[in-house]
Amino acid sequence: MLRVENLSKNYGDLVAADKVSFESGKGTVFGLLGPNGAGKSTTINCISGLLQPTSGHAFVAGHDVVADGKAARQNLGVVPQELALYEDLPAVENLRYWGKAYGLRGAELDSRVSEVLDTIGLRDRAKDLPKKFSGGMKRRLNFGCGIVHRPPVILLDEPTVGVDPQSRARLFDMVEAERDAGACVLYTTHYMEEAERLCDSLAIMDHGKVIAKGTVSELRAKLSARDVLQLNGTFPLDETRHAVEMIMERGDLDLEVITQEEHCVTLTLSRASQHLPVIFTAISGAGGIVTETILRSPNLETLFLLLTGKELRE
Amino acid sequence: MSFALTSFKKDLSRWRQDLLQTAIWLAIPLTIGGLITMLMSGDGAQPHGVLLVADQDESFLSELIAGAYSAGDLGELISVEKTTVEEGTTRVNAGEASGLLIIPEGFGDAFLDAEAITLTLRTNPSQTILPGIITDVTEIVLDAGFYAQALFGDDIDSIQKLVGESSDAAVAAIAVAIQNKIEIVAPRLFPPVINVAIVEPPPSEPRPSFALLYLPGIVLMAVMFSSNGLASDFWVERDRGTLRRLVFSPGQLGSFVIGKALAAAVVIAIIGGLTLVLGFLYHGVSWTKFPSSLVWIALSGVALFAWFAALQMLFSNQNTASVISSLLLFPLLMAGGSFFPLAVMPGWIAAIGRLSPNGFVADRLTSEITEVGAWIIDASSWLIVAAAAASGLAICAWRLRTGFARA
Repeated sequence: MLRVENLSKNYGDLVAADKVSFESGKGTVFGLLGPNGAGKSTTINCISGLLQPTSGHAFVAGHDVVADGKAARQNLGVVPQELALYEDLPAVENLRYWGKAYGLRGAELDSRVSEVLDTIGLRDRAKDLPKKFSGGMKRRLNFGCGIVHRPPVILLDEPTVGVDPQSRARLFDMVEAERDAGACVLYTTHYMEEAERLCDSLAIMDHGKVIAKGTVSELRAKLSARDVLQLNGTFPLDETRHAVEMIMERGDLDLEVITQEEHCVTLTLSRASQHLPVIFTAISGAGGIVTETILRSPNLETLFLLLTGKELRE
Repeated sequence: MSFALTSFKKDLSRWRQDLLQTAIWLAIPLTIGGLITMLMSGDGAQPHGVLLVADQDESFLSELIAGAYSAGDLGELISVEKTTVEEGTTRVNAGEASGLLIIPEGFGDAFLDAEAITLTLRTNPSQTILPGIITDVTEIVLDAGFYAQALFGDDIDSIQKLVGESSDAAVAAIAVAIQNKIEIVAPRLFPPVINVAIVEPPPSEPRPSFALLYLPGIVLMAVMFSSNGLASDFWVERDRGTLRRLVFSPGQLGSFVIGKALAAAVVIAIIGGLTLVLGFLYHGVSWTKFPSSLVWIALSGVALFAWFAALQMLFSNQNTASVISSLLLFPLLMAGGSFFPLAVMPGWIAAIGRLSPNGFVADRLTSEITEVGAWIIDASSWLIVAAAAASGLAICAWRLRTGFARA
């Protein structure tokens, strides 16, 4: 339903998207995960026709977004990150206008607008102007305008930014409803928990590249059930490195260093909580002072940390 | 085309939600137009005054003097009312009359005997034009009286004595005496070596009032404000993200622009039409000229809208676009005759003004409103405005396709 092949977008020397490839089928949610500036929005904008790819291809319902752009756009519903509404037009008129922009007319339009009003929970406020709505209600209407023409492929670009927990939960329900109705949803976010809840499979992006790809369970398996241990404090660089190497040479701990800086050391190992005394002893012996300890169980966030050496939200 | 209609309806619905903005577009020109019309005395009516005459002599000659003020064209300016000295003085002091002429008792006899006699003229100090006219007329009447007395003193005396008891023989005798004197005087007054050819000027076309000449400029002011304001809606849509959403859709950008232009035409026709209706009612312009005037300003308004939009879309942000187009608006209004009609500007300034877009439109609207007949704007002017609208809209569509909508 949605296929992206070696898609690249350059701005001069800056490579915003670098040979991005992934594929997603009917009735699935595919997550595009990464920090700000990772290349998610560039990829989405190339798929939606807003940007012309420098190279590579994207296909929506079998239509090349460049060569057969109009047909591709007809099969695509985009829910942009920013609200894109006519705030001086009643909610129902917003839906009708965007429905007509995609060619819906007459009874089909009436019926679909009615369905979407139910889906987004705004039937009671259908005739009100969006400028009187709360932020969450506007988000829901923004979503409704993107799906009113019942597109087989839906692009959601960070739809939960600045949304309260209640509206976020409602949005998740709406995304799942569209997926259950057979749509292929491409969902970009930098919130791991959203990706873990919604996505059947996902690609993790950083610096314009896909650095990991697969189903959530496949990606979790890459962590091999290892915990991530982050120590904050003061750590003499050479002495700390030597102390950690000594532990690793012992061979009884499957320890790996992710990052080592003067004020932060990040390690990954199995059953970290059982081995904390050994690690603290070695580091204090090297002159290090631990002021804070953060222990994370394996999840996509720790995978991202493992892959990139940095936090997802940095 | 179907999406153009959808877009048109959408913009009209949005416009209805912001009638305050429309009221502002309408209020500024109407306020300025109202003030100008008041200053120009609106309908250009002539001043009219009242001359009070206290005739204490009540002779044939005093009647003749009093009648001179309301004779011929003067009668359109001055009404003569008889009164007493006391009442006349009170009324002049109260500002109810332009002047009080007191003809003293014995005026007729003194005139015929060529004796000194004083006529008293009291004028209203709060007025300037009419008392001046009355003073001038009084001096002319008295000068004429002096010469008439010198030539026809005896005959006038005879006429005065005959009043009420004339016989055909006496009247004939007086007429013959006057005719003989005219024959003596005529060669001196009209020497035969000088031929006087009396040439009557061709009848001039009725000139429109000064205030009416302001009407097209005022209408164009309303059209300019509204077209500039409506043009900024492309920026509003871009900032709200709806233009980006439109790019995502297969809906055509060209149809979107046409829809906006149609909505602009309706809004401009309503705003311009209201100013026209008020102007037509106030100045009594023939309603047969209304349809042509309305279509002309609606089409011209779309052309102005299109070029304002095209200009605004050249800039990198809405603030710059808004400032630049506003800076352009006022010099255009000035040059195009909104603050001073082209018809009464010095020739070279008017020539420049007619080259401005709104001056071009206002000039032709002036002709449509003030000249005889309706639909008198020439075909080439219609074509120029239609071409301007089409080219401006094409530039707008081009800008949407070349990045404006995608930003």
